[in-house]
Amino acid sequence: MRIITKRECVSFVTGPLLFITHALLFLLVTLVWSASLLAADLPVLDLDKPIRPNFSGSWEKDFRRSDDWETELNRTIQQIQREAELLSRQSSGGRSSGNLRSGRRGRSNVVDLARLAEFISRQSTITITQNNNEVRIEREGDAALICGLGEEIMESFSSKHGTEICGWEQRQLVFQISLTDSVTILHRFTVSSNNQSLNLVTSISSGNSTPFNLIQVFQRYDAPPDEFNCEQTLSRGIVCRQTQS
Amino acid sequence: MQTDPILIMKISSTKNSANAVCRVCIPALCLLLLSSCSQTSVRIQLPPAEPVGEVTLVESPDVPVENLLLEIGVVIFDANPVNSDDSQIGDWIFEEIVQNEAQYMPYVLRNTLVESNQWGAVRVLPREDPSVDLLIHGTLINSDGITLNLQIRATDSTGHEWLNKVYSDTAGDQDYPEFILSTHNNLIAPNSADPFQDIYEQIANDLLMVRAGLTAEGLVNISRVSQMSYASDLSPETFTDFLQQEPDGTLSVSRLAASNDPMLSRVAEMRFRHHLFIDTVDGYYSALHEEMKSIYDLWRLYSYEELQEIQIGALADNTSDDYGGSGNFLSLTQSYNRYKWSKIYEQEFNALAVGFNRELAPAILELNGRVHGLTGTMDEQYVQWRGILRDLFSLETTGREASF
Repeated sequence: MRIITKRECVSFVTGPLLFITHALLFLLVTLVWSASLLAADLPVLDLDKPIRPNFSGSWEKDFRRSDDWETELNRTIQQIQREAELLSRQSSGGRSSGNLRSGRRGRSNVVDLARLAEFISRQSTITITQNNNEVRIEREGDAALICGLGEEIMESFSSKHGTEICGWEQRQLVFQISLTDSVTILHRFTVSSNNQSLNLVTSISSGNSTPFNLIQVFQRYDAPPDEFNCEQTLSRGIVCRQTQS
Repeated sequence: MQTDPILIMKISSTKNSANAVCRVCIPALCLLLLSSCSQTSVRIQLPPAEPVGEVTLVESPDVPVENLLLEIGVVIFDANPVNSDDSQIGDWIFEEIVQNEAQYMPYVLRNTLVESNQWGAVRVLPREDPSVDLLIHGTLINSDGITLNLQIRATDSTGHEWLNKVYSDTAGDQDYPEFILSTHNNLIAPNSADPFQDIYEQIANDLLMVRAGLTAEGLVNISRVSQMSYASDLSPETFTDFLQQEPDGTLSVSRLAASNDPMLSRVAEMRFRHHLFIDTVDGYYSALHEEMKSIYDLWRLYSYEELQEIQIGALADNTSDDYGGSGNFLSLTQSYNRYKWSKIYEQEFNALAVGFNRELAPAILELNGRVHGLTGTMDEQYVQWRGILRDLFSLETTGREASF
């Protein structure tokens, strides 16, 4: 049996303690390091900027859940007729057909508005990109809708053919296009809380007519990554590079 | 363009929607109606100037008399930012272009003044400089492919204003060069004149006319004042007494130092070093001009073509079949399509503007990172340099005084 000296006894006790201390220190350093790495990946919270829902992604129309324009047109016509009947009863037998076909010159009737709504809602897919400054909605065959993320109402486009303003209404992104001949188109975008579904309500009115509303629902889908990364230049046109997979 | 509040208020049938629409629309009524983004406009309200027309630069065939030559500094032009109340989404692209133009145009004016062979050294400067005889300030009021409006103010070192007026020039087909494909597959227009060269020649001729009204003594006085202004800038406590303000607000030399004054010769040394520095800075602006010229000419050509298209489009709108006003489906789709295509066209033009800025970015970066040991933009480096010279002068003066 070996006798343990006092020094050996001390080292016997302090050895594991030292090891544990070192291990804890190492663990702490590793934790701090990984936390700093995580922090570097996190976006910086800018308290001056309002928090907006994220619309970015590729979206395809869910025809099952979207309005059929003809059905919606019939529903609107019935509603107008009901209102007209009510009005005619109130005005003791007077007859009115609402604005079904009675549009004065320069005022469109609901059928024409419905057809226009269908005409401008033909895209089956839309692509949305969003960064800290703006949201850009690309629609095939139509001009992109672009809006900032600020609190103010923004003029996003203006020409002699019409004006477009945009802004945020809580979680909704709203674009209002005022065309010449008194036609106003309102696009209202909402994204679901799980970011899987996008709702677009398009309202079209002419003068003080009843608006025609068309609801379209889009589902998120995974678009294949772009094979090329293209940049517009002035002297060489569009220059593309193959993206590295 | 219509923003009828009553119409807008009736868009939505639900109460919530109506409220939302009101919130979206009513402030929008306060927005001013804006012109197309195709113009890199700096919105300053000034009376419109008559275009300068065809101008021939007055050149001197002889080498000018040296002691009567004035040194000119052309300060980088001001480009007033667009009023934020009037701004449209994407305006920052055009603001960046205006900033680049403000660095480019002074060099075209500088080249024109050099070409006239009427002046001493002509340099482009990042800011005002007390060492030159005549300073030219410019403000870019409006620039697009068809029109250029500049406000030019020229003041000599005594404070006498030579020019303060708005110049305008218009460009036509004949002013734009033919672009060819270079070996690097870039579109270039080698050795072409600026499409708005007339405006710069008119400014040069106007300056010459003012100079013609001055006596030889007056010109020498300007040189003396600028010499003492520079000395006073280096060491205000020593040289302020050498200058006096006249009742009309101009400066004149109150007393002359002896030609062998050691302090004055040190100022001359410093001024020489300073001129070497600003020659170098001028060289950097020259490099920027060289880099930018082809691409900027191309940009203005696109802008010119776009504005032409708009004009042609406006004519076509008036003459083509129009279903407008009838309110039927054909009329509505026609109205929407016109709106859509005008917007698509503008978005494509914006993309070109982004491309222009992107291609130019390396040259601007290079300009701002050129002077070794100094940091920041060219303007900041210039301020640092002047600070260094002041410190150096103070050190040398203190050292020499101590050794006596």
